[in-house]
Amino acid sequence: MKIWSDKESLSRDEIKAIQFTRLKETLHRVYDKVPYYKQMFIDKGVHPDDIKSLDDMHLLPLTTKEDLRKNYPFGLFAKPKNEIVRYHASSGTTGKPTVVGYTKNDIEVWTEVIARLATMAGVTAEDTAQITFGFGLFTGAFGLQQGLERIGAGVIPMSSGNTQKQIMIMQDFQTTTLIGTPSYALHLAETAYDIGIDPKKDLFLKYGLFGGEGSTEEMRNKLNEAWGIFATENYGMSELIGPGVAGECQALTGMHICEDHFIAEIIDPETLEVLPEGSVGELIITPISKEALPLIRYRTKDITRLDSSPCSCGRTTTRIAKLSGRTDDMLIIGGVNVFPSQIEGVLLGIEGIGSNYQIRVLKKGYLDKIEIDVEVANSDLLDSVTLLDALYNEIAHKLTTVLGIHAGIHLVEPKSLTRSEGKAKRVIDQRNEK
Amino acid sequence: MLINQLSVFIENKKGRLCDITSSLKKASVDIRAISVFDSSEFGILRLVVDQPEVGAKVLREAGHVVKLAQVLALDPSDKIGSLNDLFCLLYEQNINVEYVYSFVMPNNTGSPLIILKTDDQEKAIKVLQTSDAILIPSKNVYQQK
Repeated sequence: MKIWSDKESLSRDEIKAIQFTRLKETLHRVYDKVPYYKQMFIDKGVHPDDIKSLDDMHLLPLTTKEDLRKNYPFGLFAKPKNEIVRYHASSGTTGKPTVVGYTKNDIEVWTEVIARLATMAGVTAEDTAQITFGFGLFTGAFGLQQGLERIGAGVIPMSSGNTQKQIMIMQDFQTTTLIGTPSYALHLAETAYDIGIDPKKDLFLKYGLFGGEGSTEEMRNKLNEAWGIFATENYGMSELIGPGVAGECQALTGMHICEDHFIAEIIDPETLEVLPEGSVGELIITPISKEALPLIRYRTKDITRLDSSPCSCGRTTTRIAKLSGRTDDMLIIGGVNVFPSQIEGVLLGIEGIGSNYQIRVLKKGYLDKIEIDVEVANSDLLDSVTLLDALYNEIAHKLTTVLGIHAGIHLVEPKSLTRSEGKAKRVIDQRNEK
Repeated sequence: MLINQLSVFIENKKGRLCDITSSLKKASVDIRAISVFDSSEFGILRLVVDQPEVGAKVLREAGHVVKLAQVLALDPSDKIGSLNDLFCLLYEQNINVEYVYSFVMPNNTGSPLIILKTDDQEKAIKVLQTSDAILIPSKNVYQQK
């Protein structure tokens, strides 16, 4: 098995030395160039010079998505606009997304880390990769495209949707590698079978590189079975670089972190204390090569653990275990991040709706789906069913245009939803119910 | 001429009609006419009762969304083609019928009566007064005091 970069198999000491050097550079960069960070450092009573080793990282402030929102759009950028060559933004957020920028060098690093991940997954220059992530502000599609081209693979930029055409192209172009979210990949497989194509016999797929949403071993088994592929998962988020932070090798021992570009820590999400390796907690990532948007100790809100024991693939980098959940209530529907509070924002902005509603998350086939029960409060809607239908359509339309999600909507009688004592249980996750 | 009808939002679920009629029964409200069309998930239950204000109050207290809508009650006269005459007349006058359903009155003899909602009730009254149909005054529908 090929290893793309010699940076993936350095000794632990060599990796740590690179990490420390780059961390120091990053700390000075944010302190000098980003006033918001300078203030955060001052508030925390720490100066970049106080960091004498990687073990001192706990002294540094943590960064959250909220910090990015507060600084919308470019407040945390450490480079002037004329050095930015690309912008992306987080998926599925209302009004103000979190904006990320890349310098030429950032794009180069991004391309490099994806090349490593694709190689880990088994992809080579012989392969043809079909990207089913949406090309747009979302980082997924562009990130994979650059890295796959770097290793010489042929990229088919299909973007998302158009399921039947995806399958036709897959057959005609002899796609060997499928790139997308695991849930969409399963949906694609189902569609293939529906139109009389057996992916294992009629198509040419060998690998699947999945990301954008968490997935389980059961999901992997289903993907392998449905497509006849070797499925791997990779990890990233737009704030950190996009996809490219970490990925699984074919030994499937966890996702190898590109540690010369990212430092990972695990903290207790309550006390914020750093936990020893192997403990389960919130993943904290510090990108240490980024020029345009360097972030210090970014709280991913993903729950996992780290493992730096040797891997049979020959890489020496620390691995992230499969994510076991998130610290907050964010939903990921078809790769789009949605907070219940955003759904509430949409609903409450519509006249004729009571403040009581319930969001149910279910599985329809392999896809996660949201169902929203909304209480009808306005008696003026009772003049004709047309008005009720119009309300129904307005809700559906706003959820689609504002949040980018499709939800099943149910108008229900007032007071028919369960009232909870204290904090309302707005979201009911029924995905694991049979 | 206009009669207060109760429009109630209901979900298409078991027991909903039972709930609503129970509330009315407890308040001794008599149902003169009832209409609900099949729908996938929700619909509007329409009721003509002898005491619309009381009916609306008890249903609201029971947590329902209720609207009082003004409808017409008609005796179309019992002969072949009378409804046809009626609807053609409204059409000629460019009046749209939103819904129509039938009902009976106590001591009702002869033809069933109809409840009519158009997009212009005032104009419909004027037009219908020139026809063979008999408009039933609200006091005949409401409880006799």
